[in-house]
Amino acid sequence: MRKKIMYSFPDEVLEHVFSFIQSDKDRNAVSVVCKSWCEIERWCRRKVFIGNCYAVSPRMVIKRFPEVRSIELKGKPHFADFNLVPDGWGGYVLPWIVEMAGAYPWLEEIRLKRMVVTDESLELIAKSFKNFKVLVLFSCEGFSTDGLAAIAAGCKNLRELDLRESEVDDLSGHWLRHFPETCTSLLSLNISCLGSDEVSVSALERLVGRCPNLKSLRLNRGVTVDKIANILHRAPQLVDFGTGSYSAELRPDVLLNLAGAFSCCKELKSLSGFWDVVPAYLPALYSVCSRLTSLNLSYATIQNPEIIKLVSNCPNLQRLLVLDYIEDSGLEALASSCKDLQELRVFPSDPFGAEPHVSLTEQGLVAVSLGCPKLQSVLYFCRRMTNAALVTIAQNSPNFTRFRLCIIEPKTADYLTLEPLDVGFGAIVEHCKDLRRLSLSGLLTDRVFEYIGTYAKKLEMLSVAFAGDSDLGLHHVLSGCESLRKLEIRDCPFGDKALLANAAKLETMRSLWMSSCTVSFGACKLIGLKMPRLNVEVIDETEPPDSRPESCPVEKLYIYRSVSGPRFDMPPFVWTMDEERKVMH
Amino acid sequence: MPNMELQLGLALPTPNMIKGFDLNNHRLDHLKQRGCFSNKSKRSFEQAFGNFKQDGKTKTLLLWSGQPNEEEDHKDQKKTTFSTIDDNDDEEVEQVVGWPPIKTWRKKIFNQPNGVGGIENNRVADKENGRSIYVKVKMEGVAITRKVDIRLYLSYQTLSNSLITMFSKDKKCGDDDSTRYILTYQDKEGDWLIAGDIPWQSFMRCVQRLKIIRNRD
Repeated sequence: MRKKIMYSFPDEVLEHVFSFIQSDKDRNAVSVVCKSWCEIERWCRRKVFIGNCYAVSPRMVIKRFPEVRSIELKGKPHFADFNLVPDGWGGYVLPWIVEMAGAYPWLEEIRLKRMVVTDESLELIAKSFKNFKVLVLFSCEGFSTDGLAAIAAGCKNLRELDLRESEVDDLSGHWLRHFPETCTSLLSLNISCLGSDEVSVSALERLVGRCPNLKSLRLNRGVTVDKIANILHRAPQLVDFGTGSYSAELRPDVLLNLAGAFSCCKELKSLSGFWDVVPAYLPALYSVCSRLTSLNLSYATIQNPEIIKLVSNCPNLQRLLVLDYIEDSGLEALASSCKDLQELRVFPSDPFGAEPHVSLTEQGLVAVSLGCPKLQSVLYFCRRMTNAALVTIAQNSPNFTRFRLCIIEPKTADYLTLEPLDVGFGAIVEHCKDLRRLSLSGLLTDRVFEYIGTYAKKLEMLSVAFAGDSDLGLHHVLSGCESLRKLEIRDCPFGDKALLANAAKLETMRSLWMSSCTVSFGACKLIGLKMPRLNVEVIDETEPPDSRPESCPVEKLYIYRSVSGPRFDMPPFVWTMDEERKVMH
Repeated sequence: MPNMELQLGLALPTPNMIKGFDLNNHRLDHLKQRGCFSNKSKRSFEQAFGNFKQDGKTKTLLLWSGQPNEEEDHKDQKKTTFSTIDDNDDEEVEQVVGWPPIKTWRKKIFNQPNGVGGIENNRVADKENGRSIYVKVKMEGVAITRKVDIRLYLSYQTLSNSLITMFSKDKKCGDDDSTRYILTYQDKEGDWLIAGDIPWQSFMRCVQRLKIIRNRD
């Protein structure tokens, strides 16, 4: 008798069930249950997230998932944001677009972060995907307004065009005119990164006017405050609005119109922009303040009392981005007015100044942690800190998922006790059991890493600079942090021992970045040799690493796991430690 | 010339006035009575000041004595180098690549949004890294024209203080103690305006030349 294998459901039913499973983690779990589930799942996976574009090749993705509609790719390492990754390093999207153009004619969404996108890529997107809907270019570069014109003209059903924080070669404001009159499908348009040159405001007004579902609109600095009213009148349904330059010659009629336009936007919950703020125009916002959940004032050089006045009128605020002009007093006001606050980011107005010119200290953050019980995510630039403050903050806010503290001067000690800040950060990782992301600063010894290795079990991303005493510090992190995916380190005395002892750990992570540390060229070669599933890349802009003794430390190294071997698009200053290809690029 | 008071008048408001540079109260009260401007401004006095009484206080001219505010040091002036590694650093702040970790475009908030290209008549810019923008400064009655790097200043206040220091050496004995001066600038269209009317960032973008003139009220 033949054994008959009975499936509980036919494939179509399973596929239907799987269609409710959206998250990557769950989908991945489903696909390892058994071979048939893997097979069914891969045919119906519509969305793929690739955290490192070099971890896998486009062909491999297409081969496994033939029916993808939405793809997200990330390119350069995070430290590229701070100029630590030289130009030309890589992260090119064109090879992906070329492969997908053939394989995914029904692709609808492309989301890219820190990738190099060319006009050619954009033109190919416009030509190849008939039902293209969403293009998000987050911190990308390499393209111009010509490429945008191609997208505008070619994508008949475009819903979302989001260029946040990208660097665009702004050749002409007229690209907006390339949206055909028949385009009425826009939901979201973010052009805030475009240069100060005039974008065609009339084209913008017409576009906004004919897209009744437009929910999110972020203008660029070239649009002045006197133009806003006309735009808002055409889009009173907006939920998220980014002003351009909040500046113009002060005229009472403009102010009145603006106030009127804002008051018509009953759904408005999120505001940003505010370059070059003329404070006299701020009262125009008061009618929307009570509904605001998100406010980004981080480009606005306004000070107190204007800032306090604004935030005090926003009781429903969940997210605030602001410059340190808010000062401790403003943060205290925030703590008493905004009990729903979940995310706070305070940026420095004068990052390179030697002396503080604003009174923003550890006290401000303590106040917010005390007054805002829902606080989960913090990015805070300041000039002084104490262990006591950090301990208090940790105790007040056990719900932190992201904590990034940047004390501006490297290796700054606790200003009261002159001790390292090990204990303070130790309290953070001990109390905040759900902490996923942490950035350290100040004077820190190996001890802080011992705390992190012991307590930070859910930590996924750690950023370290100017910290630690020895390899022991790195060893604590690599051996203790079970959930670690991304580790980025600069200017720390971490060398070969910890890395070699924990090489296997690197295969469980997305990537490791180390620059200005003491990892030797020899160690890099050894890891490259022993770990074929890791790409070990050495960046050296001065000379080939093998022109020096093996014991010499490398300038920068980037190690990441990959199933497709070393990449072939490395520039001259990047060297792979691949065993087969030896040291070459 | 210890008793000479060199006072520079600015138009208002000055939205970027930074607390740390505030004059002490005594001077602020004195300021409130001031309200004089030359007739070279593009707008009338009423237009310039009529709308700025929201809080019930009229914000008026900034005046200060020949000595820059005691609380400030020149150390406070903004450093504009971004990406240099200094080994033998005798400056106040060590400039390290990529530190503090702020995205490049955020740094541009305080600078020109677009790099200023080429060399213009009165305004010299370093195109490669957009760092310095030198603007000529002429003071009435002083033969020498000086130059300042606009990018070094965070606000009208810091600029004025620096100018006072720069020119107090040049002051002729003939002027009496209470001579007041006004800081004016030439914008991109060639018009001469009183400094202080527009937000600092906009001012940085359009200022071509500076001139300190006597207030002939």
